Amino acid sequence: MIEKKTAKDIIFSILPVVSIAFLFALWVYVSGKNPDFFPTPAMTIERLNDLIKFPVSRISVFGHIWASLQRVLIAFGIAIITGISLGLAMGWNKYVHAFLGPIFEILRPIPPIAWIPLVILWFGVGEFPKILLVFIGSFIPIVLNTFTGVKMVEPIYLNVGKVMKASTLLKLMHIVLPASVPAIFAGLKAALSSGWMVVVAAEMIASRSGVGFLITRGSESYDIALILCGMIIIGIVGAVLSVILTYVERWLCPWRAEQK
Amino acid sequence: MESRAKIKLSLKNISKSFYSRKETFEAINNVSIDVYDNEFLVLLGPGQCGKTVLLNIIAGLETPTQGEVKVEGQKNDGASSDVGLVFQKTAIFPWKTVIENVEFGPLAKGVPKSERRDKARYFIELVGLKGFENAYPHQLSGGMKQRVGIARAYCNDPEVLLMDEPFGALDAQTRYQMEDEVLRIWEKEKRTVIFVTNNIEEAVYLGDRIVLLSSCPAKVKEIYTPDLPRPRDYVDALFLELREKISNNTDLAL
Amino acid sequence: MDCLPGFFIRKSRACKKERVKLVENNDNKIANTMSSIEVENQNRKKERLRLTVLSISGMMIFLALWQISVGFGWIPKKFLAPPTEVLKSFAIKFYDTRPDGSTLLVHFISSFYIALVGFTSAVVIGTPLGLLMGYYKVFDKLVKPVFELIRPIPPIAWIPLSVLWLGIGTTAKSYIIFLAAFVPCVINSYTGVRLTNPVLINVAKTCGASKWKIFIRVCVPSALPLVFTGIRIALGNAWSTLVAAELLASTAGLGYMIQQGRSLVRPDIIIVGMLTIGLTGALMAFAVGSLENKVVPWRVRK
Repeated sequence: MIEKKTAKDIIFSILPVVSIAFLFALWVYVSGKNPDFFPTPAMTIERLNDLIKFPVSRISVFGHIWASLQRVLIAFGIAIITGISLGLAMGWNKYVHAFLGPIFEILRPIPPIAWIPLVILWFGVGEFPKILLVFIGSFIPIVLNTFTGVKMVEPIYLNVGKVMKASTLLKLMHIVLPASVPAIFAGLKAALSSGWMVVVAAEMIASRSGVGFLITRGSESYDIALILCGMIIIGIVGAVLSVILTYVERWLCPWRAEQK
Repeated sequence: MESRAKIKLSLKNISKSFYSRKETFEAINNVSIDVYDNEFLVLLGPGQCGKTVLLNIIAGLETPTQGEVKVEGQKNDGASSDVGLVFQKTAIFPWKTVIENVEFGPLAKGVPKSERRDKARYFIELVGLKGFENAYPHQLSGGMKQRVGIARAYCNDPEVLLMDEPFGALDAQTRYQMEDEVLRIWEKEKRTVIFVTNNIEEAVYLGDRIVLLSSCPAKVKEIYTPDLPRPRDYVDALFLELREKISNNTDLAL
Repeated sequence: MDCLPGFFIRKSRACKKERVKLVENNDNKIANTMSSIEVENQNRKKERLRLTVLSISGMMIFLALWQISVGFGWIPKKFLAPPTEVLKSFAIKFYDTRPDGSTLLVHFISSFYIALVGFTSAVVIGTPLGLLMGYYKVFDKLVKPVFELIRPIPPIAWIPLSVLWLGIGTTAKSYIIFLAAFVPCVINSYTGVRLTNPVLINVAKTCGASKWKIFIRVCVPSALPLVFTGIRIALGNAWSTLVAAELLASTAGLGYMIQQGRSLVRPDIIIVGMLTIGLTGALMAFAVGSLENKVVPWRVRK
């Protein structure tokens, strides 16, 4: 009986390795057949190496990464402050919600990427339009999630505030905001991934720097290995940002340790 | 004895109805009760019969459709006097530590930090949670959470302490323990207490007087005065006799 | 004993009448309760009116500012088109192929068709895959590593590569839409199965159900709310990724239309495009929501 169990476990732990190995083998096979269209793993590693050593369009790869990050971080920061404030106001005061709500409902279904042509028409291809675009992409999910979070605060907590005769400011800062934190962070995660996508798209369309630009460059010069490297970098940075956000949430909320 | 005692709180002809589109739901029908200073009054009634609504009205969370609440002769519209309310479900803030929860009342009043910390510490020790000041609610058991609730209610300097079935969600063992605890705390820091429950045994064990309420709409059925010395015995002959008497008079909740 | 304060003069006159009746009427309470209900309802209607007026005035002010800022020249015409012109262009574009070569309808159908194809295939393949992965460890261990590798790369980043490999036509775009919709379907179905209430599974086991039966009868239905959440997210992703793909590499479609609008400095066309994109997205979301209500009527709503 014991042996049977162990055998099953061994098989289970091997399976992931098997599938990755299979994928890798597939890669080697396909790239072997068409090295022009499809770089081999070796070529990709080599390109990655070159990327770290030599600049692309006069900027090092880390410079590109930082350029993209900068845009995202600035826009995200502004979006957090304005978005949470607006979401709080709309969730707390039904008149604010009635007044501004419909405008949001119209803007919400428009994908942030659809704003790109309009914003570029207005502001050209500098830093500001990109930051504005990321802002648009992050602002809306943050507002909506904060709003939902505020609406879903358990009435019993608000009753405590009422009985203790807390002022509105105190209620907002000590009850509503902490109670909404899970919803707010869900909004932040959505906003971050949305913002990251928007910045990459904006860079692919009109930019001289950034990770999106790397891909465009590779595409223009048929440097497919560069495209692959760009994609990998984008994936890694996006994942790292998401992990950082999770850790920030955990640090900010020591009381949620028990809850999943 | 009763005629000499001061009346702390009095409910006069309280009625409360809830309206929705076409229908009216009457929760409370003409309830009048006088509550004496520093007495432990129990409101006993079957589930879902308006007890919580009555308590909410006293606390100022709801307004009666009719009637009024007077505290020490002054009309109370919920904004004047302080009330301590211990809720049914745990209502302590999960995002605050024990001491931050307990000091919330003074915080709302603008009391400076060191003063309110000291005050909170006193009540935390009173309810038997010394040492747990910096713990988060998720680290506490059900009974401990309710103790925090009681400490928080006390820390608000209440005129009246309201408790809404505070031990309903606890297991039987903890419940017996907490009943003793609440009496101990009350003896140490005497306040006027209005305690709501649907458990007859608990009512007879705790109350100076027991107000039996009917099922919806709530009316005062009868007021009992257990003439039993404390600490009471669950299996004492007189205890059981009173318990049976009340039990026979109680409406069933649907 | 007071009569409850009335908000309208009319009401307090009625109150006076009420009071007279009370003196004559023994049953005080009933008369009083009646006027209370009326006051309650009055208050509620007033509140609703107030909110509706606020909403409408919010929109009106927004539109008015928009119209005025272009009309008075605060914003130059080449940057923004006023709402009136947007409406005009919207109507015209239905049959006019200028300036980009196709009518609005043609663009719309082109986009919608590709989105539908990519989205449907993603749902059809992704949802069962996610469900199976959540239940059978073999699937999980086999597919998950590959999935986790693909997942962090935003579908947009695939666009240049797929265009190079598959050309500018519909194949490349469908592939990217598929990717964009695939990921949320799998994740949500997976989570949905994982979160099945163990008590329910145990009940089925005590009834002697086989592993497969439990999967079909307990886990899958229990996962449906999350599956639909995944479908909704997938829809949003698919639609926005499509727009991106059309911005970058296309000769037709709504994304292409707004890109052309930019190069030809026709902000009215851009806004028409944006609004159409938004409207379509909203309608599709509504359709999914209605479907969900039919399929999952037991969903607990707060």
